[in-house]
Formats: sequence, C-alpha cells, structure tokens
Amino acid sequence: MTNIGSDLPRADGWDKVAGKSQYTVDYSESGMLHGCVLRSPVVCGRIVRVDVEAARSMPGVRAVVTATNVGNGRAGMLVRDQTLFADREIRHHGEAIAAVAADTLAQARAARDAIELEAESLPALTTMAQALASDAPLVHPDWESYALNPMAAELRRQGNVAGELIADPDGVDEAFERAHLVVEDEFCVDRQYQAYLEPMSAVARFTDGRCIVRTGSQFPYNIREELAAYLDVRLSDVRVIGQTVGGGFGAKLGCGTEGYAAVLSRAVGGRSVRVVKTRDEDIVTAPVRENAELRIRTALDAEGNMTAREFSCDMDCGAYGLETPTFPSILFHFAAGIYRIGPVRVHARAVYTNTPPTGAFRGVNGPAVYFAVERHMDNIARRLNEDPMAFRARHMLRDGDTLLNGQALADAHIAREACEAVQKSLPAVGARQSGDRLRGVGSATGFWVTNPLPGSVTITVGEDGRLHVLTGANDNGSGAVAMGLTQIVAEAMGVSTGEVIVGLPDTDLSGYDSGSQGSRTTHIVGKAALIAIDDLKTRIFDVARQMLPPGANELELVGGMVRAVGIGDAQVPLAAVFQMANFSNVSLSGSGTYATTPPAFTPGCAVGLTMPSLLTPTYHAHRAEVEVDSVTGNVRLLRYVVAQEVGRAINPDGIMGQIQGGIAQGIGFTLTENLRLVDGRYLERSLEAYRLPLAQDLPRVEVVLLEHPDSEGPFGAKGVAEPPLVFAPAAIANAVSDAVGKPFYKLPITPEDVLFALDT
Amino acid sequence: MSAVQVSTTVNGDAIDFVCQPTETLLDVLRNRLGLIGSKEGCGTGDCGACSVTVDGQLVCSCLVLGAEAEGRKIGTVEGLADGDKLHPLQKQFIDNAALQCGVCTPGFLVAAKALLDRNPNPTEQEIRYALAGNLCRCTGYDKIVRAVNAAARDVRKQQARKKR
Ligand code: FES
Ligand code: FES
Repeated sequence: MTNIGSDLPRADGWDKVAGKSQYTVDYSESGMLHGCVLRSPVVCGRIVRVDVEAARSMPGVRAVVTATNVGNGRAGMLVRDQTLFADREIRHHGEAIAAVAADTLAQARAARDAIELEAESLPALTTMAQALASDAPLVHPDWESYALNPMAAELRRQGNVAGELIADPDGVDEAFERAHLVVEDEFCVDRQYQAYLEPMSAVARFTDGRCIVRTGSQFPYNIREELAAYLDVRLSDVRVIGQTVGGGFGAKLGCGTEGYAAVLSRAVGGRSVRVVKTRDEDIVTAPVRENAELRIRTALDAEGNMTAREFSCDMDCGAYGLETPTFPSILFHFAAGIYRIGPVRVHARAVYTNTPPTGAFRGVNGPAVYFAVERHMDNIARRLNEDPMAFRARHMLRDGDTLLNGQALADAHIAREACEAVQKSLPAVGARQSGDRLRGVGSATGFWVTNPLPGSVTITVGEDGRLHVLTGANDNGSGAVAMGLTQIVAEAMGVSTGEVIVGLPDTDLSGYDSGSQGSRTTHIVGKAALIAIDDLKTRIFDVARQMLPPGANELELVGGMVRAVGIGDAQVPLAAVFQMANFSNVSLSGSGTYATTPPAFTPGCAVGLTMPSLLTPTYHAHRAEVEVDSVTGNVRLLRYVVAQEVGRAINPDGIMGQIQGGIAQGIGFTLTENLRLVDGRYLERSLEAYRLPLAQDLPRVEVVLLEHPDSEGPFGAKGVAEPPLVFAPAAIANAVSDAVGKPFYKLPITPEDVLFALDT
Repeated sequence: MSAVQVSTTVNGDAIDFVCQPTETLLDVLRNRLGLIGSKEGCGTGDCGACSVTVDGQLVCSCLVLGAEAEGRKIGTVEGLADGDKLHPLQKQFIDNAALQCGVCTPGFLVAAKALLDRNPNPTEQEIRYALAGNLCRCTGYDKIVRAVNAAARDVRKQQARKKR
C-alpha cells in the first residue's frame, strides 16, 4: 500500500484553508454568555478586600465570582498547589482574583473593571536566588499539605524547592582530584512564550448536573481531571469535548480558561459561558518555558578524555508548579548528553518564586540542557585544541552503553550516522570574515525520547464500510492525527485515507489518552490503532468467511474489500460485511490501548527521579551556519541542516513541517524572542514586542531523515515533533560563538550581546 | 452610543449591518456576519490573522472599524473559493502542507492573494516580505512561501489560458 511514507494531504486541510474550521473561539451555543477574569496587578501580596457589589449591578452582568464563592478545590499537574482564584495570598502578577459573566463581552469587561480590589503588597521573591535564601519566606507556606498526583510520588520537595533531583554516584570527587584539566561553564536561559496564534479559550455549560466543556486542548483528559478537582466533583461529572486546536506547544495541556468558564456557568445556573484570553492576558498567564541557570564542570585526563562531571541547575517554577517540578528529572537524563563521561553528579531544583508560573513547552527542558551540554562540549574541545565534532565522536556512546540511569542505549550509533549526514551536507570550515561580516558554523547532537504514556483507539466499520476512529488524542496542528494516525489506520485496513474518519476527542466517548505531548501521538496512538485493528480484523474476517466460498481461510483487506487469498477473485465489500455482522450479533468494532513498556534501569541512580527511564529514543544532529553583522550585532542564519532519526516516516512532508516549525521556534528562542521579567512582571506584553521570527528571518532548513524502524512503533514510527526545537539553540549558539570568536553563555543572544562580545 | 447602520459589499455580496461605532470590522465579520474565517490573534495589528482586503487594500480588520466598511468592498478568506472550487492558493496550501494548526492560514491566504493581485510573478524574497505582517508559529514559513510560489504559477497559467 502507499499510505505509509506518502505526502498525503491532511484530513482537516480543506476546512482550514476555507476558513471553516471551528476553533473554540468560533464555537458558540444559544444563550451563551461572555466571561472575563480580573487579574492581580500586584506581584505578591495579600487581598484586603474584593468588593464586587458595584460590578454585580452593572448592565448585563449575570454573575461575579471570587475565591469566596467557588470553593477552594486545588489542582495541578503534579502537586495540587493551585486554586482557580487567589484566596488571601496573591503569589504572582496576573493571578486570577475574580471572574464575571455578562450578556456581552463589553459588559463583562466593564463590570470586571468596576470590581474594587484592595491588596496589600508584600516583598516579592522575584528571582530564584531570593527564593533560595535561607531566610526567604515561603511562596507556599502550606506546601506540605498539598495532595500529590500519582506522577509526583517520587518528587522531593522542601519549602520553595518544588522539585529536587540529586544523583551522587561514586567516583566523582576522585576523578576531579586526578583530573589533568577541569573545564567549567555557567549558562543561563530566559523564558520563552509558546505564542500559539489562538489565545486560550473555552466554552462551558452545565447539563443534568454535569459540567460540559468545549476546548481546543492538547490533553482533554487532563482538563477533565483538573476541572473535577477545581469544582470538587466526581471525574465523570465533567465532560470535555475537544475543538480544533489553534496551536499549543505544551501550553494547552492544563486548564487555562476552562475553570473560569465552568465556575461562571455554574454560577449562572448552567448557561453556557465562553471565556477567551486577550493576547496580553495570555502572555502574562501562559505556562511559558522556564528560565534556568546551569553550571557544568567536566574533568578530563591527560589524553583529553572526559572522566567525570558535575552538573547543577536551578529552574524557575514561578508561583505554581504545573509540569516544572518534574524537569529536574529530565535534566538528569540528558546531563551527560550522548557521551561517555564517567560518573556524573547532578543537582537540579525547580524553585517557586513570585513570578507567573512556568510549565510545558515543546521539548520540556531539552533546549536548556542541550544548550548547556553542547556549548560546553565546544568549549572543552576548544580548550583541547581539538575539532569539536572529532571531540564529540571520540566520546560518543556506543551501542549498548548505559545512560546515567543505568538504562542501555541499544542503537546509539544512529547519532554518529546523523553527525556524518550533517557533516556531508554542510562541512564545517571554521570561522571566516569578510568585511563587517563574520561567519561561523556550529553543531549539536544527542538523543531525545518519545513520551510513553497510554493512549487508546476504537475503530468501527460504518454501514457504508467507512471507518470511524474514536480517540482521545487531539491533533494540536502537527498532523499527528490528521496525517499520522489517519494514514496508519488506512494502511492497516487496506483503504485510502478518505475512508478513515477521525472524530474530535470527547471524554464521555473516546477512551483515555495522555494528550498531545512529548511527540507521542503518532507513535502511541498509532500503535493503539494497530492493536484495535488486530481485534477488528478478526471480527471482520469471521463474518466475511461466512460470505465467501468455502476454503477461504486466509483473508486480506484490500481497497475496502475482504478478499480470499488464493481463491480467484472472491471478495466482499466492507459495507456488506457490516450488514451481515449487524444481523449476526457481531459488533464490527475493535479497541486497543497502548503504553510503552519501560526498559530496565538502576533504582537508586538518583533521588527525586519522577521519570526513571527514557523510552523510544531518537537521534539527532543539527548544524547551523550564521553570519554576524559586526556593525549591528544582528545574526542571520545562512544555512541550517538537520539529520533526524524518525523510526519510519509516515508522512515525510508532515515531518518536514515539524522540523521547520521546531527550528523556527529554536531560532526564536536563541536570537529574537525575549520574555523578560522585571520585578516579577513581564516587559514584553504583545506579539510585536515579543518578536516571533518572521518569514524573512528564517533560512530554508535542509533535512536528512534517517529511518531505523522501531520494533514497537506503528510501521516503525517514533516521535518527531520536539527534537528540532531541542537541539537548535545549542547549534546556533555554537555557530555564533564560532563566528564571533567568543563564547556565548546566555540565551537569547541579542544584538547587544553580540556587540558587547565583539568589544571586549 | 447609538448603533450605526452600514451598507457594504462582502465577497461580492451586498450586505447591510448594524454595529456599535466602536466595534471593529473583525468583530462585525465574526460576530454579526458569521464569517469566522478571519481570526483574532492579537487585536492589536501584530499578527495578521485578521487580514482582509478593503477595496483591494490589505488591512488588519482588528484595526478597522465596522463603520468604515460603508460603501467599500470587503474581501475575506471566505471569498477565495468559488463554491467547492478552491482558489489555487488554497489548493497549494493543502498540497504543500503549508498549514498546521491553521489559525494563521486565512490571514496568509488573504495577504498572498493581495500580493498576487498586484504582482503575479513574485520572487521568493518578495513573497517573504509581503508576508512579513503575518505570523505563523507552527510552520516556520517555508512551506507557506513554497505554496504561494506554486499558486502564483497556477494563477499565471490560468490567466494565460483565459487570454487565449
Ligand atoms: S488580530 Fe488583527 S493583527 Fe492580530
Ligand atoms: S499554522 Fe499554526 S500559526 Fe500558522
């Protein structure tokens, strides 16, 4: 069949180009009200008084709610440290104080502006250093009383440290004592905003006592879980129905507007309420990528071999944990990169501060840790006067070598293959200068993973033989459902993609899914679909055998027909099989659930390890060529080459889109985007100020896809969406350092930084 | 504030509507006329997701008042296709996988159409500059640029055929 490895058009393309796709912002229900949220102007403080009386009597206003009248249900990805509204304490700028529902949005906003908030400002912990000081007040004085979700069982917490990981293997100190050379670097990265084009939005109503929410979420089942916790109702009393997702990149995994829409609807007796964030509000409250400070020391022997490493990192959670407390565990796994180093001591902390919360952004923590590891590798190579790629090659893991958690990496050689591929496309020639322009090349390599969490699929044959696919997986825009899953089902069922209809997720109907995160959807949900198809095919064939000539034992599905292998042209259409099944008490539907089985690892390799192993690794090499204008400090990408291992490419064009889009986000993170905190408030509050890359800022990305089919993955596919972003900052920062001839330690690298480096 | 009455043309159809004097053209299109293709990505003129044409001129409809549509010709993404027949730009966006989440897509299509109307044979640089007012967070723009390039070729062919 030709469904796998083909650039087939995405299933939702027609509606999207016609302007007909219904995103949450386009969805409305009759009698729907409009809601908005009052947010704290204060960075840290105590609420003295919230007076909503004036607001309540304004025209069109149907409800005003605050912490006092919605209850105090707590939710959170790992630690349930968050309430919908600030109760007494205000922990960050932009924290929700109250919400209003009114007939029109203008009325809701006018009423919100009429709410009188009196808040006493308190000294704020706006930096990690302040929060980690021994006499620092606690951002969450009650941290010990918070409930933990199952994923957080191993989490180590203490006061303002929301998550801590410590790995202290034997032999580190000895190796440093014996070291011939020690190279030490300190890095820091700033925050990054996901900047999906559709601001967060939700529509909620209550029907028959149950809360029904429509949202373009990446993870409807998590929205349901958080909402049930906030509303303090049974999980099954919440129904979350997915809408087309207008981009998310990790930000739409947890509740953004859903909770406010839900409590407002409850307050107005169940009428529908829509809440949409303004862009300014969205920037202030999005779970952006964490700012982090990273320190690495590596010991080397007389031959220039790495013999041990110390790696410490503090990452800023902001005022609530969201996903960030688990990032120290991610950092641990990648602290050695893909190299043989000897023992590695790791100390990583996620720190509460009085700043807007950080959370998941595509490639969680990866861009920061690989930026540090791969910049550090270049620095070591330079100290040794060795070519950076040759130095890497000398230390690269070999097949079967173990990672820091004791897990064996069976196919590490693919990373070498990737390095060779980028070297071939763009040979590194060393820094060059022509006039005011400085050119340089930089690389990065390593491995990344595919999120293993469970997903499920049910496939049903319809009356006309078409296939209806039910899954809780939502397409976040990547094409993982609209291309990946659709093509996998079509291939395995022997039909064209037009015969496959995938519905939007609905937590009442679709079966659990762990959300579009960690590049998992094509791999996990695709595999669940194949399991479902195994089940379904057995039923189809059992019924079809009754309809085919005797002796039709071996059957196959081709072009919407069930065909007997080896018996002339004996075949029956799927639609006919459905009719027969319908009157034979057979349901023509199959279900499958899949999660990756974790590999063996060494228990006790670290404490506070929330994710003990790495699953379905993929291998990567990036190389960037930049041109630095020594007069303006501007950096331009001349070429960008990626070699990415994908297992098996289901839709190469779709993968290209993921790579190009991921690189663009990496370029933004490294060079243009900037979300600066000044005393706990963001300086950049609009898309213009934030500076996303534009069409003319980006190079044409050259891609080499490496295929090494995964034995578990559907047709061999592995996750593809995150790695492009993970490795880009390191490669570009190495290229800029090469061009300028000075090392860069901080992201983003602004023109001012470049000019400063050139001047010193 | 009293509502204003506006007579205008949207995608070739004569349309009358009533709106508040402060209401944006984007809100009128989306909330009063049910044309949801134009998106609000920012409301401040920064993203281009709300791009429409007014008398052939590309504008951000979030920065234009509904009342300003009086007597003008408005073009939105909904006007690109001819019934079920997609415009070459739309077709090439699908064929080139030039969209992911799709929120930016209507704005890019309208901006690209405005470009091709004034320059049917743009260079890649010209395409990139013409689209500089439109943000896309998903695609990295390359496929969008290729799609516009391919569509330009299709449109030129169409026009050549018409002339013959
Ligand atoms: S919504 Fe008009 S430019 Fe963004
Ligand atoms: S396709 Fe998502 S913003 Fe462009």
